[in-house]
Amino acid sequence: MISFTNVSLIYPTSTKTIFEDLSFTVNEGELVLVMGATGSGKSSLLRLINGLIPHHTGGILAGDICVNGISTREVKPGGLAHLIGIVGQNPINGFVTDKVEEELAFGMEALNLPADIMRKRVEEVLDLLSLAHLRNRSIATLSGGEQQRVAIGSALVMHPKVLVLDEPTSALDPIAAEEVLSILHRLVHDLGLTVVISEHKLERVIQFADRILHIKGDGQAQIGTPEVILQTSDIAPPIVHLARALGLPAISLTVRDMRRSTEELRRDISLPNTQPEEGLHSEVIAVRGISLSYGHTKALDKVSLSIGEGEIVAIMGRNGAGKSTLLKSIAGILQPTQGQISILGNIPSSLHGKERRMCIGFIPQEPSDLLYGQSVMGECTSADRENEIDSGSTFELLRSLVPGISPKTHPRDLSEGQRLALALSVVLSSHPKILILDEPTRGLDYSAKNSLVATLNAAASHGCVVILATHDVELVAEVATRVVFIADGEIVADGRTLDVLLSSPAFAPQVAKIMSPVPWLTVKNVVDAIGLVKPLRPAE
Amino acid sequence: MDRSLHPLTWWIWAGALAISAARQSSVLISIAMVGVVAIVVTFKSEDAPWAHSFAWALKLGLWIFAIRTLTGILIGIPIPGRILFSIPVLPLPSWMAGIRIGGDVTLERLSLTAHEGVMLATIVALLGAAASLSSPHRLLRSLPIMIYEFGVAVVIATSLIPQLVTSTIRIREAQRLRGQDVRGLRNWKRVALPLLEDSLSRSLDLAAAMDARGYGFSKKRSRYRPNSWHFREILICLSAIAAVAWPLLALPASMTALALAPNLKVKQKSSVER
Repeated sequence: MISFTNVSLIYPTSTKTIFEDLSFTVNEGELVLVMGATGSGKSSLLRLINGLIPHHTGGILAGDICVNGISTREVKPGGLAHLIGIVGQNPINGFVTDKVEEELAFGMEALNLPADIMRKRVEEVLDLLSLAHLRNRSIATLSGGEQQRVAIGSALVMHPKVLVLDEPTSALDPIAAEEVLSILHRLVHDLGLTVVISEHKLERVIQFADRILHIKGDGQAQIGTPEVILQTSDIAPPIVHLARALGLPAISLTVRDMRRSTEELRRDISLPNTQPEEGLHSEVIAVRGISLSYGHTKALDKVSLSIGEGEIVAIMGRNGAGKSTLLKSIAGILQPTQGQISILGNIPSSLHGKERRMCIGFIPQEPSDLLYGQSVMGECTSADRENEIDSGSTFELLRSLVPGISPKTHPRDLSEGQRLALALSVVLSSHPKILILDEPTRGLDYSAKNSLVATLNAAASHGCVVILATHDVELVAEVATRVVFIADGEIVADGRTLDVLLSSPAFAPQVAKIMSPVPWLTVKNVVDAIGLVKPLRPAE
Repeated sequence: MDRSLHPLTWWIWAGALAISAARQSSVLISIAMVGVVAIVVTFKSEDAPWAHSFAWALKLGLWIFAIRTLTGILIGIPIPGRILFSIPVLPLPSWMAGIRIGGDVTLERLSLTAHEGVMLATIVALLGAAASLSSPHRLLRSLPIMIYEFGVAVVIATSLIPQLVTSTIRIREAQRLRGQDVRGLRNWKRVALPLLEDSLSRSLDLAAAMDARGYGFSKKRSRYRPNSWHFREILICLSAIAAVAWPLLALPASMTALALAPNLKVKQKSSVER
């Protein structure tokens, strides 16, 4: 269906080759997962498929790309619209109209399809993606998962043979992500659609992939079955890391298979009943019965929370449950209509300037909102100046987070992970008592996530309180000491990470699903515990 | 309501009401009209970004009223009448003859400028109500096909404006949380640069999405669910047109009865609509 023959790509203003002599084919009815580190060229590869590169963005392309026998060299993206549906990273940026039904019809109108065909196809897609009850809704009012479904729907109405998706679940909570992925799975199996998908959170998609295209980042790429690629790749989901750590001969990709091969291990284990010390931390943040509403919708309803020194608290919950609102109230950007928040005795909204910087550090969903410098160095020196610290200390901090970052780079040209690290070092340079992060793992690869975990742990060990809102269960399992679960503006669960994550199957991390009922959350937990109890098999 | 009205309906309705208000030039009628329109907007507008247009138009109207009244007091032709108070006359160079700043403020002058202010504010509020009641995107879709291309360009531009507003709020929030002062001219760069970059990348995303979905590939376009005129649209428009026509037909026998009649008509309309 899709064939790349000796494809090389280079952007005109850059000296770095994105792809070099890349050849592979994707067959009809296959689901191919594109994986690679951030900035390795995943999005570029997806955009090559329908010719957005080079027709839309420019770039020097050698070799040939054929989709269903049509070369993208001769045909512009618009000419492939009936053949390839593409869903971008932020679907909200790609919506043209404001009603669900009209959005679905937009592409067909552009291709001048007769009205009766349009009506029929819109109905089909509304049913296929269970969007019928949303047909007259304004797109802006939909949840993230619903918007993603509308974006997929508006590609499907064209009856494409290929569907290309760029990180379709990165902004979604685990349940909405599951929903989107199972729809894709059904499309591949029922309609024989060819799907090419890129994703960082491999644990979510790996079970659906027929083959993996691994982009190495140095222009090279490797394609093969998940078993083969993941055997050696440095990017791997927890399930693979677990298999490697346990020294299992073959890696399995589904929780079911993995449970079978670890049955013995689970049976033989008898865990010492460890009750982690309930240390009495001194209270840093006190939230007392706050309520906040936007118009008629209540975002927070009498939320009370007490957070102590050195805690890493993960706030979880559906899209739109009130996570961001809670974070912004704690940071003092939103004023609750009822109740009080105090941070070390201060009211957060009364803090300004340096006082605020030394008390609260906040990383917004888009870390680049914080940055206005024209270079990494400029950003760092202005942070040094503001906080009256030795010049160069912010850059030193950044270096320790991500080595090898060029001081002259413009912040916009950094990869997601590097940009987050820059924002983090700017914020951390004033040594705040509280660090708040809103959705920090959007678009982060595993190595960036690991360095984030290390940074947060280091901050917490110095007594800093870390609060993060996230959908990433694996990150929560790695880093959080406590989980607060919010639904409809109310706290529905609050407790140790282990207890909260294990009590809900949808939010359990992969390792926990495999090892249930033994309460382990991460590969590290398993390795530590086995070493502690009795070594079953030598690890690796 | 299962079918939404033709997007032009409310514009014709509001336009006719505005004409009627301007023709009758009565403060009482104008205020009553704005009241009726406000009721219609509260009950009929959808939950969408443009639904706030009426509130914005009302605020703008109040500003216009205030500015008009203020300039009316300061500058203007002296109208004889009962003097309320006087402000010192600003001496102006001889070439600016005919313009006077300051001087006696008479009751007549004040009421005239206030009256004009109310009329202007009413017309702005009425148009704002129309913008509140119909989606700009749907309005553009009902324009003739020849200017459709132009229309889509406008859609992109208009969809960027609300985005720009939300981005600005978001970035200012973030900067404030960094402990930065975002007010004042010196600090505008802190908001403007991320904002510019953000909106540029958004526009590129939108353009790429439209390109990939075949926009502009075919010379002709078909229409999904063309907007159509029905009894309800006609009724709404007629109700407002009646408000214009009524005083033209009847002779001014009694001013008060005439002044109230179109207003009643409008009220009747809104109850039909409910």
